[in-house]
Amino acid sequence: MLEVFSVFWALVPVTLAQSLILSFVVLGVMIPFRILSFPNLTSEGAYPLGGAVCAVALLAGVPAFLSIALAFTAGFLAGTLTAFIHLRFHIHTLLAGILVTTMLYSVNLRILGKPNIPLFREIKVFDYLAFPFLSINAGKILLAGLLGLLFVLTLRFWFNTERGIVMRAVGDNSDMAEAQGNNVNRSIFLGIGVAGGCSAFSGSLMVQSQSFVDVNMGLGILINALAALMIGEAITGRERLLKQLAAPFIGSIIYYQLISFCLAAGLAPSDLKIATGIFVIAMLAGPTLIQKRPVRMAHEKIRE
Amino acid sequence: MLHILGAQKTFFSGKPDEKVALDGLNLTLDKGEFVVVIGSNGAGKSTLLNAISGSLMLDSGSIHIGGHDVTRVSVHQRARYVARVFQDPMKGTAAGMTVAENMLLAELRQSKARLRVGLTTKRRDWYREQLSYLKLGLEDRLDTRVSLLSGGQRQSLSLVMAVMDEPNILLLDEHTAALDPRTAALVLDATIRAVDIFKLTTLMVSHNMQHAVDYGTRILMLESGKVKFDIAGDDKVSVTISGLTDHFSVKTDRMLLGAEYA
Repeated sequence: MLEVFSVFWALVPVTLAQSLILSFVVLGVMIPFRILSFPNLTSEGAYPLGGAVCAVALLAGVPAFLSIALAFTAGFLAGTLTAFIHLRFHIHTLLAGILVTTMLYSVNLRILGKPNIPLFREIKVFDYLAFPFLSINAGKILLAGLLGLLFVLTLRFWFNTERGIVMRAVGDNSDMAEAQGNNVNRSIFLGIGVAGGCSAFSGSLMVQSQSFVDVNMGLGILINALAALMIGEAITGRERLLKQLAAPFIGSIIYYQLISFCLAAGLAPSDLKIATGIFVIAMLAGPTLIQKRPVRMAHEKIRE
Repeated sequence: MLHILGAQKTFFSGKPDEKVALDGLNLTLDKGEFVVVIGSNGAGKSTLLNAISGSLMLDSGSIHIGGHDVTRVSVHQRARYVARVFQDPMKGTAAGMTVAENMLLAELRQSKARLRVGLTTKRRDWYREQLSYLKLGLEDRLDTRVSLLSGGQRQSLSLVMAVMDEPNILLLDEHTAALDPRTAALVLDATIRAVDIFKLTTLMVSHNMQHAVDYGTRILMLESGKVKFDIAGDDKVSVTISGLTDHFSVKTDRMLLGAEYA
């Protein structure tokens, strides 16, 4: 037992860096789902898309920051495509996301040209933080953490501006938002686009962190993100905007430590999906087991 | 202020359950008129309101509001002319957002949403003042989520949101029907006051004959998508409930109840 903890403890910093990088996917799942009431699966395709775009850009000699921006843009476009398929053809949001993700797999393969590429020689964003007093991993934690803080503060400001309040109203009561003179579709395009951008952003950081890009890197990322979001929301609550925005980051940090613990405890990596599934079910089912009186559930939309 | 010419709307056109909701309806409203719209279920009252607000497009005919042709204009672009209070208190407000945020959304009807801080101190003071007229204590609950308010409070908020920017046309779609009698009276009172103060051109759908007799400057009765009768001026002043109900060709239970209940 002690050995399990010592293995787990040794992995904490590496896992922390990973979880901070992946928390942007959780953010990309949270925004459509919680703020726009537009359950969206595009992240599963946008994450590797961001990785692929960033990797190819780096290989072509594009500076790291610009490569990340390109990845974000590609993710933004993927998100707007999902929104378009839903709004124009009235295809269910979940199906629209699955369609885009499926198509993106082929697109990602086209972008990369082969299933995986190593990125050892290219200068990556984390290399800018290669100071003697800072370990590589600490640099990753610092950069991803600061970027996360920047995202949260920017989004918090945005959602308190006139346009941001309109966007929240679109998710809350789209008929009302429309009756008050707001272009509902524009808010959805922008919101879903930014969410796709966040997922791609995460992918672009991940390929630079692991110096490696793989077309299959997005497999199962969505359900991981959902599990992280559920855990985060169970901790922070959702009453205030800041709590809702912080939930993806807190959830991601805790979720990936839990996964790391499972690995340290000897769970085979191939069994992790079962563990993740159980986490999600537990987080969704938990309140029904704890609360004796039937009350309105926070997660009723996916639980139904 | 409002001109509707030859409004035609057919649902399920060409199918066995075809339904003509508006059948060449003409209607002209002058500024400041307060029209109570009555009629049996299926007479076309809701379709008329939906057509004016833009949530339904006419098959043919035209709608002008304040000189603008809005026949093909979408709901959100029409919102600067038309404000609407729905029957369902849930429909007119965003439940997960605060009272102040809802007021802001209503205020933005007249202007474009910009990238600047929404709830400024100046705005909050103005909202507090607007809400204080209701005398429901809502002015002290600016940061309360609307989902925590009662149905009557929500409907009163919807009303304030609808009238605060003095819309060209105010549409009231049985907006007190879902409330208990006391609250309904309160909301209706606030409505009458607001319409009076701002001299709003108003269309109020009601099943309550007493309301039609007591309020407004004009009564419009619809039947099968047409105006069955239209009384204003002295005729409106001298109208009685029994005089009105005689005009209903089909007396549904609901209308009878409405008449007695009042």
